[in-house]
Amino acid sequence: MPTRKSESSPSAPEVKQPHTNGSKAANAPAVKRPQPPIGKNPWGIPDWRLEQPPFHIESDWSGEEYRYKVVGDTNTPVPPLRPSKYLSKEQTLEIYRYMIINRQMEAALESMYKQSKVIGGLYLSLGQEATSVASAYALDRDDWLGPMIRNQGSMVVRGYEPSSAMMQYMAKGTSPTKGRDSGSHYGDPKKLNVIAPISHLGDSIGVLSGVALGARLQGREIACLAYIGDGGQSTGPTYEGFNFAAVRKLGVVLVVEHNSWAYSTPVELQFACKDLADRAIGYGVPGVIVDGTDANQVYDATHEAVERAHRGEGASIIEAKLMRMKGHAMHDAAVYVPSAVKEYWQRRDPIVRMEQYLKETGWMTEAQMKEVHAEVQRYMDQEREQAEAAPMPSPEEAGTDVYFDNGVDIPVKYGEVRVKQSNVGRKLSESSAPGHYK
Amino acid sequence: MAAVTYLEAIRQAIWEEMERDSRVFVLGEDVAIYGGAFKVTEGFIHKFGMERVVDTPISEMAIASAAYGASLTGLRPVAEFQFMDFISSAHSQIVQILAKSNWRWGAPAPLVLRGPSGGGVSGGPFHSQNPEMFYVHTPGLKVIAPATARDAKGLMKSAIRDNNPVLFFEHKFLYRRVKEELPQEDYTIEIGKARVHREGRDLSVITYGAMLYTAQEAADLLAKEDIQLEIIDLRTLLPLDREAIRRTTEKTNRVLVLHEDTKTGGIAGEIAAIINEEAFDALDAPIARIAALDAPVPFSPPLEKAFLPQVGDVVREARRLVKY
Repeated sequence: MPTRKSESSPSAPEVKQPHTNGSKAANAPAVKRPQPPIGKNPWGIPDWRLEQPPFHIESDWSGEEYRYKVVGDTNTPVPPLRPSKYLSKEQTLEIYRYMIINRQMEAALESMYKQSKVIGGLYLSLGQEATSVASAYALDRDDWLGPMIRNQGSMVVRGYEPSSAMMQYMAKGTSPTKGRDSGSHYGDPKKLNVIAPISHLGDSIGVLSGVALGARLQGREIACLAYIGDGGQSTGPTYEGFNFAAVRKLGVVLVVEHNSWAYSTPVELQFACKDLADRAIGYGVPGVIVDGTDANQVYDATHEAVERAHRGEGASIIEAKLMRMKGHAMHDAAVYVPSAVKEYWQRRDPIVRMEQYLKETGWMTEAQMKEVHAEVQRYMDQEREQAEAAPMPSPEEAGTDVYFDNGVDIPVKYGEVRVKQSNVGRKLSESSAPGHYK
Repeated sequence: MAAVTYLEAIRQAIWEEMERDSRVFVLGEDVAIYGGAFKVTEGFIHKFGMERVVDTPISEMAIASAAYGASLTGLRPVAEFQFMDFISSAHSQIVQILAKSNWRWGAPAPLVLRGPSGGGVSGGPFHSQNPEMFYVHTPGLKVIAPATARDAKGLMKSAIRDNNPVLFFEHKFLYRRVKEELPQEDYTIEIGKARVHREGRDLSVITYGAMLYTAQEAADLLAKEDIQLEIIDLRTLLPLDREAIRRTTEKTNRVLVLHEDTKTGGIAGEIAAIINEEAFDALDAPIARIAALDAPVPFSPPLEKAFLPQVGDVVREARRLVKY
């Protein structure tokens, strides 16, 4: 099997873990490149983007049909990537390769879907690879990830093989959930620290607040990266979960993947504020806007939020603006998206933009990039072969494991509980205060 | 040795578990500095410190999911809902995330969600409910509803030591009304086991929570007519003690199920089905159900009295069944 990652980063620890210690391994970039200035939105939220799409969507009723129309210019030129303040050449190349894995595993899934090998729906992240990969890459091994349905790229960065997602989608008995749940609904509380998402949006945010709280009781400040979409952020659990993190200064990094469409509903019908990062003001945490098709911006912003979490300074919001290039699921051709908008974002393909950056920096030749694509293709073919050959689950497993065995000890993850203030000698005295009702 | 109240028994259980096991901590609204709306955690913060006694915003969803998140790191949270009526605000988190966790992704969730339920205190429709059956219908959870101080303490300890999400429905009417002497030593009561509260030969009353005392009063009255009630206190509603239900049915051949929860979809229907499956041939009379009216819990005392099952209802039904 081809190697999963380069171990060439000089300061990276000598570990054979499938994912790197992205955040901690950050070192000085090989080439110091000038940083374009960072703008601010009307509410003072830093906006790292090098362009702001000069168009928006409006609802239109014409010719007895309801549709969305574009108002403004969709033909503006594509800017270069913002140079990263933190990523070394080696790390950049690693992120590049993960993005290609992300894309090719989804191409494989799409082909499997068309061959009727996928059971149920298939949710793809075409166009979102930079956000998935570069944000997950900023986490340390002890940190946690709370993915959503399209973040299969993040899960590969975290250490899952692409065959895991493939087996999940094919409902195989050897899939991470043994065929009990579908798609990206898998996770690992022991080694990879990935929360298995549920379909109810926003629910992982409160869970990750609890994970960070649990780690703090064990003397550790960790970062817990939760994704939410422009649609998902409308839910109540998003507010309650993130507010709790904000109040308790827990290291939840909320990456809002503003991919412009919630199933078929455009952002114009989802929220009335201009930028979702504005909500950071209401939560009392730092917020930042990045271009979600620029892996450098996504990494740098996430890295800073992760470092902040590790210092115990609390939660952050990163709004990544991007586009879901496919429908909600494979059945959905996304005809509601005006074609000019699709074309605008097609020109901002995160992998093509990264390749342009690699050429400009001289970090890779075109031939070398071709070889990465070919190497990942060989790897993906093997993964697919292995996933397709895997057995289906046995029917007896439908109702097992509903409860966990009480005879098995559940270990603490980070060590002994440490409490600063306490009074060990204190005894329980009977409560004499009046209760709420007699 | 002094008798302690149902409320003190629960306080002792959580306190002693926190002393015994540093992984146990509490969170909820007003639980830390104020000590909880009913004072279950009064004084805890001074003993255990503010890291292990956590005040939360008014966010039931966040309370349930943060407790779950902490349990994923190996801790054993005990989360308080100020009133169990508010558990509905966290319904999705409980039934979707917590209950399916071990089955779906092999992530055990050792945690307790506890709080006061039940009526009889003029709490009105939002501070008096018995929402336990929503959760009895959810595989992956355990549901406990103790009636005595001894059981409350022993079951709370078992709940905290259990490796699964446990919902612990305390009864607020009983908090300071029932008292008993408790064993000095550390003890637990097994989850999933019912208890014969009173032996009898003529009719079994299967019940739980505050209705245990309604059954007891009825039994005292009926004893004067030489009708001897057997009273079964379920204590745990999920998993149900099928064996205890079968045993008492075979003993008295007549069963009356009594609960404070509303009738339709209440546990009496499930118990009737279990008897049908396990002991149909033992029945000498139809199974009777006495439950609250199929209505919200009313506020005004005369209305609430009409809503809740009364001793007279049990006496009347018992006489009918014995003669059947």
